[in-house]
Amino acid sequence: MDFDVAPVTLRDLAESLKLWLILIGILGASGLLISMLLSVARNGVAGIGIFFKGLLSFLEDAGSISPRRVLALTNLTLKEAVRRKALLVFAVFAVLLMFAGWFLTDSNERAELQVGIHIAFILQTISWLMLPVVFFLSCWSLPEDIRVRSLHTVVTKPARRIEIVLGRIFGMGIVILIVLVAMGGIGYLWIVRQLPLEAKSQLTCRVPVFGHLQFVNPEGQPSLKGINVGDVWDFRTHIQGNTRARGVFVFQGIDDSALVMETKSAGDGSGTLQVQGLRMECRFESFRTIKGSESSIREGLQAQYTLSNNPREEAFGLFSQSETLRPLADALRDAQFRTAANRLDELATKVSADGEAAKNKQPAELQPTDYMGLQLGAVYAAGVMRYRKDADLESAMLAFQKVAEEGAALITKISSEAEDKNETLPGLHEAFAQSLRKLAAVLNQEADTLYEHLPKLEVPLPSFHVAEYHEGAAQNVKFVPRTVRFSADAETQSRFLASLFEKLNEADQLVEGDGLKFDLATQLQSEGKISAENSALVVDVLAEQLASGQLKVAGSKLSVADGRRWFHFFDSLIQKDLLISADDEGWMMERDLIKDLTQEGHLRVEVSCLNEQMYLGMARPDLFIRKPDRSFMVGYGKALVNTALMMMLIIVLGVTVSCIVKGPVALFFTFTFYIVGQFFHEFMQEILYSPTQQGMGAIASAVMTAQHRNPQIGMDVSETTQRVVQGIDAVPRAILWGFSQIVPDFSIFNSAAGFVENGFDVPFAETVVPAFLICLGFLIPCVLIAGALLKFRELESK
Amino acid sequence: MSNDAVIEIRNLSKIYRDFWGRKKVQAVKSLSMDVKRGEVFGLLGPNGSGKTTTMKMLLGLLFPTSGEMTILGKSASDVSKNERIGYLPEESYLYRFLNADETLDFYGRLFKMTAAERNRRADELIEMVGLGKARRRQLKEYSKGMARRIGLAQALINDPDLVLLDEPTSGLDPIGTREMKDLILRLKAQGKTVVMCSHQLADVQDVCDRIAVLFQGELKVLGRVEDLLEVRNEMQMRTSNLSEAAMSDIRDVLKKHNITEAAFSRPRADLEELFLRTVRESGERPGRRFTTEEIAGKSGGQA
Repeated sequence: MDFDVAPVTLRDLAESLKLWLILIGILGASGLLISMLLSVARNGVAGIGIFFKGLLSFLEDAGSISPRRVLALTNLTLKEAVRRKALLVFAVFAVLLMFAGWFLTDSNERAELQVGIHIAFILQTISWLMLPVVFFLSCWSLPEDIRVRSLHTVVTKPARRIEIVLGRIFGMGIVILIVLVAMGGIGYLWIVRQLPLEAKSQLTCRVPVFGHLQFVNPEGQPSLKGINVGDVWDFRTHIQGNTRARGVFVFQGIDDSALVMETKSAGDGSGTLQVQGLRMECRFESFRTIKGSESSIREGLQAQYTLSNNPREEAFGLFSQSETLRPLADALRDAQFRTAANRLDELATKVSADGEAAKNKQPAELQPTDYMGLQLGAVYAAGVMRYRKDADLESAMLAFQKVAEEGAALITKISSEAEDKNETLPGLHEAFAQSLRKLAAVLNQEADTLYEHLPKLEVPLPSFHVAEYHEGAAQNVKFVPRTVRFSADAETQSRFLASLFEKLNEADQLVEGDGLKFDLATQLQSEGKISAENSALVVDVLAEQLASGQLKVAGSKLSVADGRRWFHFFDSLIQKDLLISADDEGWMMERDLIKDLTQEGHLRVEVSCLNEQMYLGMARPDLFIRKPDRSFMVGYGKALVNTALMMMLIIVLGVTVSCIVKGPVALFFTFTFYIVGQFFHEFMQEILYSPTQQGMGAIASAVMTAQHRNPQIGMDVSETTQRVVQGIDAVPRAILWGFSQIVPDFSIFNSAAGFVENGFDVPFAETVVPAFLICLGFLIPCVLIAGALLKFRELESK
Repeated sequence: MSNDAVIEIRNLSKIYRDFWGRKKVQAVKSLSMDVKRGEVFGLLGPNGSGKTTTMKMLLGLLFPTSGEMTILGKSASDVSKNERIGYLPEESYLYRFLNADETLDFYGRLFKMTAAERNRRADELIEMVGLGKARRRQLKEYSKGMARRIGLAQALINDPDLVLLDEPTSGLDPIGTREMKDLILRLKAQGKTVVMCSHQLADVQDVCDRIAVLFQGELKVLGRVEDLLEVRNEMQMRTSNLSEAAMSDIRDVLKKHNITEAAFSRPRADLEELFLRTVRESGERPGRRFTTEEIAGKSGGQA
């Protein structure tokens, strides 16, 4: 089961509402038309008047529904169910619970499986015990009332027939609710008491945030998929260990609400303290090419998470889709913007040459994929820059945008079949080349600004062993404290030192007289949390730079002699290996997980495998951020709500059908609806929409069979005949479409149970709300249809 | 509608059809009649004559094939008319899992009655029909007579202006029958209109002001009971202590057409007699409706 459900948006709801209104409109119009035709058939021309009179009367009834009478009828249904011993279903439930423990509790089983089995047992039992009660109550109640004529006495009172329908539905709904609440409550207590102690900790509702997954291949280039290790099931693809291969998960909506509190032991042994942080849970699959030692198998593969806030990767990653553009992509991602500018100039020359080649009808040097890579890469780069809303990035953004526009025009023409193609292409090539040159110029000019405003921050986290054989799900849960401490790379180091020195300089804390402040090392330790060794190193190097004239003192401020920013100054020091860590740990720094590592709520987590010759398999749902858990009762309650909604829907359908046919027939129809909706809805959708299932229809198939032809070749008939055949074949397809829209998808109601059984919270908007809306979507038309059927039915008809 | 007509029926016909719309039987044929305000009206006829069909059409349980009906000034298909109607079905089609109190409360809730009104009315009616001791028992434990009584109580829960009674004395013992008839007369005295179907001709004769006799869906006889049962070509005299001598004198007197102390009246047939004759005549002369004069004249001839 997939727990990574697509979020329901307002747009989805609007689309569903639109479809619902269309279907209601079609059904309503068809119903009215058929009713009028029947009336005319029976009464001649006068039938039209009778039809409209009846319609008005029905609308009047529908408009004068009295809550008092509906309540009275609801109360009656409730009493009927109770006094006819519908609640005996409790006894069966109790008996099942008494003996279920004998068969379900196995302390040798893994804890999460024990939990799943117990929850599944309760939810399934409730569901399967309720179903027969609901089917019989809803399908038999009204026909029985009509048969014994107790309904006749009611309809000779001022009760509208639509009120009788509502009373039945609400009454039965309340009965079901009472039974469900009682059974659910008992079931909850049973689960809690029956589960072995070690499994009770698993009785929770995890709230996952799933991300988007893409890959980086062993060469360090972006890729949509990992390596296939030979599995037929290609759900997961793998990353190769000890290479540059990564699985890159990007999570959205990560803010303070995603953080959890965890109890950690204090470093000084003084007890425990509460630490805020992010919890990540994985379920990666290991694939070994060598057996390894027994202990290594037991430990599992070693993996590492790297938290990354890298706008350059996001902005320029797409350029690497084309082999020709890869040097450009690498330069851009490494912030080598001047190198990138040179690459762009080279590409511009090739583009111009291609224009000339097109004019002379000679082959082009750059392939269409190169043009598309340039255009798409530029679109994406411009998009990411625009998204950052940084004024300093605007000129680069506009230059990328221009490349995207000119590229689009050129690609459109290249792929067109226009006759004047060769005449117009050189001009378009030249315009595109110009845009590339312009971009190159901007990159050259803005290289430093771009480097400064597109910072890369990578935080490697301690490696961990992936539990391969599920010896406890908790092993795969990693806690990342909000304040992450890590060994910084060169870029982060220079950015950090620059910002620290800017801050201290601003506060006049760097300079004393003509030299550096004597306690600067202490300042760096306290303000920047730099180790004593590294603080001393920085002060020594800066003193040397001051002495050599690279730095100068002006008043109370320290500045770089050639006017460069601190950021570039430290960068050059690092490039010259002058700031190699004097501390064994490296340049340890602290960063805030939310403030520094997320961008507009996006958090990028790169997963790497550290074992050589081993592979780590992953799919999108295999790593998720685990927000604060909710109480098991919450998810369990939501699953019961969905069960109640499913029962309600069956009641609505059963009561509607029973308004026109007798009990057994109503039962047959409703049961068929349920079976089709529960087990065949997806199948119908597949037939209608899946390209693999789209055949050519029965008649077309018959014709092709007779002609010994296959669907690829098609029928050997005239165009007119073909249209006729396709027209005939479209009819059953349209009927199937209509049927698939009318029959509710019952699997939505059951999906909630799957979440709870697997320890996840039930996503309210994606599971409970759709179930409620489906129920409501059927309730409204069904009540109207049932009310009309009952109103225009002769109860005493012989 | 005239002010004193509670029910007006014009050219009412009902054809029962099968699933395919084919005609099975015509239960009512062009029936036209009125029921006046404040009267007790009896619908008579043998089994299958269309009287129950007519009543069910009045109640909206069946739809007429053609013709028009108004009840209390409203169309029969208008549910709001039921606010002022009480209906006692042929058998008590009530919810057997409810007790008497719950039954009356349930039906009371279907009208615009407050809880206090419902309680007061339920107490009155349960007292009236004599079910005080059984009010907490479920109806499935009731005898047929008790079920008729609670059925009557529910028909009167809303203090209706028009009461439709289908076989009101069916299943009642003689005392119950007497009480039912007294009740009908009491309702009449309260100004209510009562329409009843019954096979108990003596009961109809006792309480009805007017009757209609249906046969094979056709209206055969319609009129005041008094008029219909009067034998117009005969006279009768009643007196007491009539000696032989007196008898002789009476003969003399009669001979001289000089009658002074004797009470004269026309003899009456009973309703059973009228009913049987109507049915027989209708069988012999289908499609013919009889006038009151014909019925009265023939009653004498036959007596």
